[in-house]
Amino acid sequence: MVAMSTAEAAATPRQRRRSRAGRLLLLLPVAVLYGLLMLAPIAFIVKTSFSAGLEHYRGVLATPVLWRVIENTAVISATTTLVALVLAYAYAAALWRAKPILRVVLLGLVLLPFWTGVLVKNFAWAALLQDNGVILDILRGLGFDTGGLSLLHNRFAVIVGMVHYVLPYAVLPIYVTLIAIDWHLVRAAQSLGASFPRAVWNVILPLSLPGVLAAGLLVFIVSTGFFITPIILGSPRDMMIANLVDFYAHQIVDFGGAAALAMLVIAGVSVLVIAYQRVPKEGQYGSL
Amino acid sequence: MGRFERLGRPLLIGAALVIGLYLLLPTLIIVPMALTKSQLIQFPPEWISVHAFADYFQDAQWIASTIVSLKVAALATVIACLAGSSAAIALQGRSFRGKAIVTGIILAPIVVPLVVLALADYLFFVQLRFIPVWMKIGLAHSLLVTPYVFVTVQASLAGLDPALARSARSLGAKPPSVLRHVYWPAIRPGVLAGAIFAFAVSFDEVVIALFLQSPEATTLPVRMFTSIQYDLTPKIAAVASLMLGLAALALAAQGLVALSSRKPQTS
Amino acid sequence: MLMRRVLPESTVQEADRAAGRRLELIGVWKRYESGPEVVKDVSFTLEPGEFLTLLGPSGSGKTTTLMMVAGFELPSAGEIRVDHRDVSSLLPDQRNFGVVFQRYALFPHMTVQENVEFAMRMRNRPRGESARRARGMLDKVGLADFADRKPRSLSGGQQQRVALARALVFEPDALLLDEPLGALDRRLREAMQIEIKELQKRIGISILFVTHDQDEAMMMSDRIAVMNKGRIVQIGSPAEVYQRPHSAFVASFLGETNLIPRGNERMSVRPERIRFLAPGETADGSIDGRVVDATFLGRQMRFIVAALDQRIVVSTADPAVYARVAPGDAVRLGWNVEDAQSLAAED
Repeated sequence: MVAMSTAEAAATPRQRRRSRAGRLLLLLPVAVLYGLLMLAPIAFIVKTSFSAGLEHYRGVLATPVLWRVIENTAVISATTTLVALVLAYAYAAALWRAKPILRVVLLGLVLLPFWTGVLVKNFAWAALLQDNGVILDILRGLGFDTGGLSLLHNRFAVIVGMVHYVLPYAVLPIYVTLIAIDWHLVRAAQSLGASFPRAVWNVILPLSLPGVLAAGLLVFIVSTGFFITPIILGSPRDMMIANLVDFYAHQIVDFGGAAALAMLVIAGVSVLVIAYQRVPKEGQYGSL
Repeated sequence: MGRFERLGRPLLIGAALVIGLYLLLPTLIIVPMALTKSQLIQFPPEWISVHAFADYFQDAQWIASTIVSLKVAALATVIACLAGSSAAIALQGRSFRGKAIVTGIILAPIVVPLVVLALADYLFFVQLRFIPVWMKIGLAHSLLVTPYVFVTVQASLAGLDPALARSARSLGAKPPSVLRHVYWPAIRPGVLAGAIFAFAVSFDEVVIALFLQSPEATTLPVRMFTSIQYDLTPKIAAVASLMLGLAALALAAQGLVALSSRKPQTS
Repeated sequence: MLMRRVLPESTVQEADRAAGRRLELIGVWKRYESGPEVVKDVSFTLEPGEFLTLLGPSGSGKTTTLMMVAGFELPSAGEIRVDHRDVSSLLPDQRNFGVVFQRYALFPHMTVQENVEFAMRMRNRPRGESARRARGMLDKVGLADFADRKPRSLSGGQQQRVALARALVFEPDALLLDEPLGALDRRLREAMQIEIKELQKRIGISILFVTHDQDEAMMMSDRIAVMNKGRIVQIGSPAEVYQRPHSAFVASFLGETNLIPRGNERMSVRPERIRFLAPGETADGSIDGRVVDATFLGRQMRFIVAALDQRIVVSTADPAVYARVAPGDAVRLGWNVEDAQSLAAED
């Protein structure tokens, strides 16, 4: 049943038909665009993946590399998510309790990165972490013997780069959940005998959990799709699932396999996205 | 206030500032790195020199890539503005059961893994040889950035009084007129803000451009990407600085749009 | 909804003992770094079992005073003593007060039962005892059936009672209430006023109550401390502060009054203590005037009389007067000497 606004309810059936036609006309550009550039290409992926029956899938699933890469992706994404959540919680809490001027500054710092692309960020990290780069120079300057320590082209650099990219995505959901918490709840807990740390543990932490969960899932989903960062900051041992698709497409030139792999990626991400939609985000409890 | 509570706030702020530094650090070193005299990436730079920028401007390939990126971003932005704005106007106000689904579909490109989209575009476009490669990239990007324009235009429509369109129509205005005189002034700031962001996102995009590239149509980020894998040169830093500059300009432009849209409009 | 139930044995015993300790505030000040002095030289004593209300307009410092007693604000000067022990430097969780906040502050992620058990948990009482005492308290406020519900599924009045139960379950030295009835509609508010009063009498606990509503204060309190601009301007029983206000502020804040000049001073005469004098009738105090307005309000008749360059309000519960007196009439107003309270000229 179409819920009509009062204006539409007051219109004649002829006017309503015309208005609906107008709206459909306005949706035409988007429909054409999405049809041609999303549905059609994805249909091609489906077609190509099944172009040899189930052979492409069998082939892909039988390769040991796939499972190593899946493990990489899972471990890297999980590590990134964990580190990002810890940092994001601290940052969001600071945002919450900061005085207004400081809050603007902190918000700016966390929103600014959205404007620079992943490439510029990775380039900077590569330059910072390289053997004659800033970080190692500083460490040597402080007297540490860095010996054979390498900060680039390894798992460490990949995590540093990925956490840097996803951090803003993690901060915002947690921040939104925290500001919905009534500070009087902390005071109430204290009046009932809870020390400040206990009040935080019993009141703030549980109430912020939905936001943390939402942030974690979001970051995990974003992390699984990384392509550039593992290549620039990592080693072959850090290959992720997106790199594998690229490998199939450009190295082995097996488009059937690449398509099959892409379908598996879509399936995996869909499961995660559905889980994300189900998570109660801020506002389930709010404050009373 | 107890010890914990009193210490809590400064501790949190301190931690946040350190994390903020972590967020800011990469951005800060790029420009200084580009101003170095040596041929190696160095920080602190050896001596201030702009040879890196000169290298970039004199390199025909890099300039060609820059032009490709500009064309691609322009095309993507124009298409995205058209599609995103019209869709936002179409879905304005009225809530019907399908609205959530349609909105979800429009926002879907943000959730689809980039490499999947890139492969899909490649398989789809490879047979369409009559389209210039840069256009293919532009079209692929337009899908990617349409959700951003949709969202910003939707936001600017939220403040539009539905009575205005109705009264215009009751005065005899045909739909194209209504669009031009009622909707366009209202969505102008939203379109502008969305366009700026769309341009920035398309200009920075690597993965789709990588999959669709050809020797004549290599975008700037793709060239940077291949370059970085070989060696970190000041020239790359120079290009990165320029991209940062573009981002700063875009941010400033959006700020201006936001400020100017707060002024009372004469209509 | 009133609770008329037979009290279990233990409650009667609780009421017998003098519940609560003596709370004293001595010369308490609160100055903020940014400058303003919000509480100035506040001193009073809350006797065990007493219901004392801090009454004043917003900004009078009453809530800040309560927060200092609770331990959420530190006094800039002065002492807060419980049974002669100085508690000013104790953290809120170290003080033994129950607090009910304006919006109840019930923990939304816990059930009603868990909310009420919270204080016992913080005191590391064994599970069984906590549950039993919480259940007992919920019984007392009539919400035993709601024990497993979440606070947001309860009505305002029910949440209010959970907040009370939560604050009372650990037998605090006193109960501190910060305008707890502000969010309720009038009818519910009046019902809750009676409930709280009865609960207090039954349990025998000392209560420090903050409100800006003078009817509420007079209805519930044993004593009222009227506050204005950070100071206590008068403390006394409801009858005292109403009938013998020390200043024009107190006189006009507690109910309506007429401020009638006499010589250098002013007198406060309540509208209901003024009557229309019959021709030839005399009274201790009287003035002449002309009736400007007459209103029938149901439970009272209200007249505005222009006299002495001001508008005098006269009210009476007698409908016959309304029939006799009409706007435009020239009248003589009279009152008894004991109903005229002398006030200082400046206030």
